[in-house]
Amino acid sequence: MMEVFHTVSTKAILLGNEAIARGIVESGCLVATAYPGTPSSEILPAVAKFADELASPMAVEWGVNEKVAFEMALAASFTGVRSCAVMKQVGLNVAADPFMSAAHFDLKGGMLLVTADDPGPHSSQTEQDSRYFAMFAKVPCFDPATGAEAKEMVFDAFDLSERFGIITMLRPSVRVNHCRQSVDLGEIRTRDEEAKFVKEPSRWVCLPASVKVNHPRLNRKVEDIRTAFETEFSKYNYEVPAKKESVLGIVASGVSFSVVMDMLKGWGREDVSVLKIGTPHPLPLKMVTEFMARQPKVLFLEETYPVMELQLPDRTGILGRWNGVVPGAGELLPEVIASILAPLLGREAGPGGEDPLLKQALEDLKVTPRRPMLCPGCPHRASFFSIRQALPNAVNPSDIGCYTLGVNQKAVDAVVDMGASVTMGSGFYLAHKASGTERPVVSTIGDSTFFHMGLPGLASAVYNRHSFVLAILDNSTTAMTGGQANPSVGTKLRKGDEGRKVDIEGACRGCGVTFVKTLEAYDVRKGKEVIAEAWEYARERREPAVVIFRHPCMLLRPEQSSIPVRVDPGKCIGCKFCINFFNCPGLVFNEETKKAFIDERFCVSCGVCVSVCPHGAIEAVQEEGR
Amino acid sequence: MQYVIVGIGGQGILFTSKVLGKIALDRGAEAIGSEVHGMAQRGGSVVSHFKIGDYQSPLVQAGEADVLLAFDQGEGIRNLHFLRDGGSLVVNIHDEKAFENPNLLEYLKKRGIKVHSVKGYDLLREHMGGNFLFLNVLLAGAMCASGVTDLAFDEVAAAVKELSPAKFEDANRKVLQLGYEAH
Repeated sequence: MMEVFHTVSTKAILLGNEAIARGIVESGCLVATAYPGTPSSEILPAVAKFADELASPMAVEWGVNEKVAFEMALAASFTGVRSCAVMKQVGLNVAADPFMSAAHFDLKGGMLLVTADDPGPHSSQTEQDSRYFAMFAKVPCFDPATGAEAKEMVFDAFDLSERFGIITMLRPSVRVNHCRQSVDLGEIRTRDEEAKFVKEPSRWVCLPASVKVNHPRLNRKVEDIRTAFETEFSKYNYEVPAKKESVLGIVASGVSFSVVMDMLKGWGREDVSVLKIGTPHPLPLKMVTEFMARQPKVLFLEETYPVMELQLPDRTGILGRWNGVVPGAGELLPEVIASILAPLLGREAGPGGEDPLLKQALEDLKVTPRRPMLCPGCPHRASFFSIRQALPNAVNPSDIGCYTLGVNQKAVDAVVDMGASVTMGSGFYLAHKASGTERPVVSTIGDSTFFHMGLPGLASAVYNRHSFVLAILDNSTTAMTGGQANPSVGTKLRKGDEGRKVDIEGACRGCGVTFVKTLEAYDVRKGKEVIAEAWEYARERREPAVVIFRHPCMLLRPEQSSIPVRVDPGKCIGCKFCINFFNCPGLVFNEETKKAFIDERFCVSCGVCVSVCPHGAIEAVQEEGR
Repeated sequence: MQYVIVGIGGQGILFTSKVLGKIALDRGAEAIGSEVHGMAQRGGSVVSHFKIGDYQSPLVQAGEADVLLAFDQGEGIRNLHFLRDGGSLVVNIHDEKAFENPNLLEYLKKRGIKVHSVKGYDLLREHMGGNFLFLNVLLAGAMCASGVTDLAFDEVAAAVKELSPAKFEDANRKVLQLGYEAH
């Protein structure tokens, strides 16, 4: 069984995600799985790192998608060992099916689901609140206010899971995931369980008949856990009472609690009582209603949906999202909370508002926020240029990843969720076919996303005979989330753990695709040719054609030849073609001279833009170096 | 002490938070901060927060930062609202003319904001063969020399050394010194 190798308790400055990872390893978890997604991505690599350091025997693996990851962890729990699945909030949409079922089981080993939310959102297509999902599935949820608290909650979430035989959710939000803070490092808490799956069909086979037993049992568990949250979890659920007579009561969960505490301290207010709730579902109702009864008025602060508010039997007089006092969307930044609190406390929100002088200066200097862009030298930029130039009239569905930024090159027309580039390719084809019209469709998807959810759509398109081109932009990594491995890479997280590479071309042919061509993404002349050829093939044969654009991500710092470039001002006519369709941080437009120029602060000398200018104004500089 | 660090995704901004975190840890001080990862990092505007002292929230409220460290002058100007009255901007500049804008100068004067500028790109072009990846270490040196923080040069140097790969040790020391003397 597991031995304790690491006995020194020390402090370290950790990212919130690393703190959560440390908690997972110290908890004696034996199977940890995930699919990367901001803001959760750093958790699993940190689990692997700490598992290596503490010599844990645990398995640490990326699933090809969140559903796969979740189900691997769930089965491990069936055997009696502790398991954990990690994902971002929209990842739980993908894993929703097993998650809803999982709640009904009387689990054996503790199972923790870490779902990272993204109020704002900063890097997501929605700002949905996973606590709502916990409520939907009738699963207990912990909502940490800091990274250090998140780590502590991991231990309690595992214990609670085993005590009640129920999956538990830890719901950090982006400011907890990406906070950096000093955290205590401990040892692995030794546990005796090993994998022992006992055949008990009535327990592990979910049939309608078993739901008749399991659902009422789940309801009882929720009420028992609510009682536990009322009485045993004062380290997460507690009141910070006003030192003077209270003029306002605030019920706060997650990072909003931390923000409020710093704000009240900064404002020197001692006449506000705050009730911190770290377990928003099931809500410790008695604690909350008793607190409310003692306050002249009560404000609820939580991100992003009114989950605590919704659980109140009576919301009369509550200040929060239901009555519009708290905005219905967006992150509760300190400035937002200040603007809510200040009028309630009869004071100014403070400095930091918009200043007319600064506003004018920004206008004079033409300073605007920089939008995210593909990195200089990014192979996707070259691929998008080829695709857009080959078939300017095509519809271009795309997918979730760095390449969503192809929208800057007018080469991305629609994005929905992971894998939808392929299925939208089918949908656009069908709509035109049924209307008796035709329009080329070129979908773009990345290597990791292709394995995540692209494959089912591709099999469906082959089966149903849909004409479109699927361009797989293979940069040999999961780039947007920081460069995680995936099946097309083949490496694994733990030291000494061997994986196997899954061949994209083979997977496509296996699905029945007969046109599969692979090319160097930087070669835009060839790229244009092959895209045009693929569409002709798809159209004539009534089947999807696949083109794989291959070149490593620049974040992997690939060895490649350096081709310094310059713009010849004599040849540049200021048409902005390169800005509009190539859109590189290193190639910018001077509004005064009306010419493009190379911004050497960002240019990485990939040389691709030489093939981009229709007037030949971008040229390779002959002498090496600058 | 509350820091806001701004720039463009890919400039190595996260490293500065790590340096500040390491220093706080070595001093035995409490520290908490917030970073940006993911889509928001890809070449777009990036804002990091870092607070040393008795704080619970990782975020600096607008109007409360003591120091604004800007890797890009445009981002620096755009985020001046984070500074408290009398706070300090430490900024990498590539176009001095911007800081001659009368509206900007009046705003800075009105709020008592001190500006400490360093021509990071010129310095790295001249001394480091144009390797702009050293910008973060250069600015750490400049911030240290500006006197707007209580950070000692040796303390910063030790943190940079510990947090970077050994092969960059000499170069980082050189760049840190360069930033320190540039001020």
